[in-house]
Amino acid sequence: MYKFLLCLRYLRTRYLAFVCIVSVMLGVATLIVVNSVMAGFSTKLKDRFRGLHTDVTIESPNMNGFSTPAAELKEKILNSRAGEFIEAMTETVEVFGMATFELYLQSGGSEPITMPVQVIGIDPEARAKLGGFAQYLTTPSRREKPSFELDPKALARWHHLHPPVDIPEHKPLIPGAPPLPDPPRDPVKPMGCFPGFAITHYRSTDPVTGAVNHKPLLLMGDSIRIVTASATKRLEPVYADFAIADSIQTEIPEYDRGFFWVKLEDLQTIRGMPGRCSHIHIRLKDYSKNKEAVEALREIFPDEREAIVQTWEDKNRTLLDAIDTERGILNLLLFMIVGVAGFSVLAVFSMIVREKTRDIGILKSLGASDRGVMSIFLGYGLLLGGLGAGLGIALGLTIVHYINPIEQFLSKNTGVGFDRRVYYFEELPTHVQPEMVALVTIGALLISVLFSVLPALRAAMLKPVRALRYE
Amino acid sequence: MIRAVNLTKSYHRHKHVVPVLQGIDLELQPGEFLSIVGASGSGKSTLLHVLGTLDKADSGMIFFGDERIDQLSSKERDRYRNEKFGFIFQFYHLLPELSAMENVMMPGLIGSSLFSWWQKRKQIKKRATELLERVGLGHRLHHKPREMSGGEMQRTAIARALIASPKVLFADEPTGNLDAEAADEIIRLLREINREERVTILMVTHNLELARLSDRVVKMSSGKFSPLSVNAPPLGYQPLNDIPHLCLPAPQV
Repeated sequence: MYKFLLCLRYLRTRYLAFVCIVSVMLGVATLIVVNSVMAGFSTKLKDRFRGLHTDVTIESPNMNGFSTPAAELKEKILNSRAGEFIEAMTETVEVFGMATFELYLQSGGSEPITMPVQVIGIDPEARAKLGGFAQYLTTPSRREKPSFELDPKALARWHHLHPPVDIPEHKPLIPGAPPLPDPPRDPVKPMGCFPGFAITHYRSTDPVTGAVNHKPLLLMGDSIRIVTASATKRLEPVYADFAIADSIQTEIPEYDRGFFWVKLEDLQTIRGMPGRCSHIHIRLKDYSKNKEAVEALREIFPDEREAIVQTWEDKNRTLLDAIDTERGILNLLLFMIVGVAGFSVLAVFSMIVREKTRDIGILKSLGASDRGVMSIFLGYGLLLGGLGAGLGIALGLTIVHYINPIEQFLSKNTGVGFDRRVYYFEELPTHVQPEMVALVTIGALLISVLFSVLPALRAAMLKPVRALRYE
Repeated sequence: MIRAVNLTKSYHRHKHVVPVLQGIDLELQPGEFLSIVGASGSGKSTLLHVLGTLDKADSGMIFFGDERIDQLSSKERDRYRNEKFGFIFQFYHLLPELSAMENVMMPGLIGSSLFSWWQKRKQIKKRATELLERVGLGHRLHHKPREMSGGEMQRTAIARALIASPKVLFADEPTGNLDAEAADEIIRLLREINREERVTILMVTHNLELARLSDRVVKMSSGKFSPLSVNAPPLGYQPLNDIPHLCLPAPQV
């Protein structure tokens, strides 16, 4: 009983104890903030990767795609053992190409802009069923039922930019001959496309406020020419003009700069591969069974030179592993910081034990046991660790909650901050994992107790007579 | 009440052996107030610590009643100190973080678990209040040691020593840090407690004037009781014949 009383009293009267609490608090808060931000990054990245790459992909290593028609392939898959794992499936044509468009300058002239892109031909509705696509469309109304149709305003712009070619009135060469029929006057229907957000927008930094915002470079209805290769035996350049129907913003600059989504049939026609595809994307019913599903699919496509079957994780293995490694190392380093906090507990405790030597003698003369004295100091360590951890959790979670305002404040005032040109996201993503918080707390408590063991033992071992004489 | 047979103890400083107790025989009668006087370094404090189980002798035996207590396990020795012995020290040795009341209750707190404390707390609090009133500190219950005078602190320490109703009170220079008036008060208080509560008291002091008030005085020098009389009893004390007015008869029990 006296142990509790003394623990609490020592806490209240030793200002030194607050050093311990603060050091544990800072350690715990740092661990929580760093872990939450890293987990936020990795969760968001994984979410995007999984969405964009879909659960499982069957990919043809041949640039011309599978020779078998897509419908046949899909049927083969569905009728096989793998069919039971599949919730949705869609074929795509994915090929590299170049996008080029005219940029109209303020001076009045224009400048052609050309950039490399990954052209992805999709069936928008079927692709939307696989997830990780429709929600990234910039225009919210399109997300419900995505299609490459241009909205009326965009269509009007397109027509304005592409006026129907005026065919001069037909004059028969031979007088009296009957007139030829009129050429079709129906306006040509443009092929819609979804370029990545970073293709159609540019980032501008306000010179006064430093705020970063996106300004459109191209408007909906503007046209972009895509140059790519034909899917014939002999590689031949092919090209077509597309009208911008919408853009896709995944917040991953690599994809926002590099992906160019068009209609599957359009791309098949341009490349001369009607009915064929280069990729089959699959969404599984239960992702935890991905290994079995991949195995079953490999039974249909045994030859790696013919088709590569991969999960999204396999495809992004290097990056995902790098993130995990980075996180592991960072945690190790940060845990050392908590270890340093542990040493401050040790130092402060040694001082307190020294300061309290006479009290220990008094307690022993009053009949306190060695274990009792030891548990005072162990309990004290636990109390300091507990308080430090509690405050650390509160501080850490608060920082995590306000991480973006804090980051903005810091980068505005110190210039140190989250560089949006380097990182993938507009805002610092965070993800607080309860098990991580629990682990950090237990670790901090353990360290505080471990580091108070030594001084506590010293206190317990003190001979009462020597302790009493201690001045 | 307490009997010590042939106690020896020496300290080792580097390679030198410093004998502190050199064959001490002592018998303390129940209800007796015994003073040990002697110059500093004569081993009187060590003797008190050894008898009070705070320290161990190198050889010899100590009995409490019929039980040998020098060989008890540390747990049982802790219990003896908690229940049967009370200690008063020269520097009061109160816990600075606690109030007078809490200091007095400390042995009660140490001796009880969380549950038994809950059961006994009213009783212990009542006894602590009574004791503090008894030593004249009824108005100082919630003061911290630093807010009290030396005499008050020592009286608090006496109340603390008495809380568990001990059989024996060990007082190590209880007046060493006090002025003459306060010292006198403390000794008179001890005397009263000794008479009223029949507590056996062993006091170590170098103040002969104050020792006079006890039942019996023995003198120690160089780790031994000074042989002052040829007819020294085999077990026990040496009357201080060289200071005639201090020679008091041993109480007849």
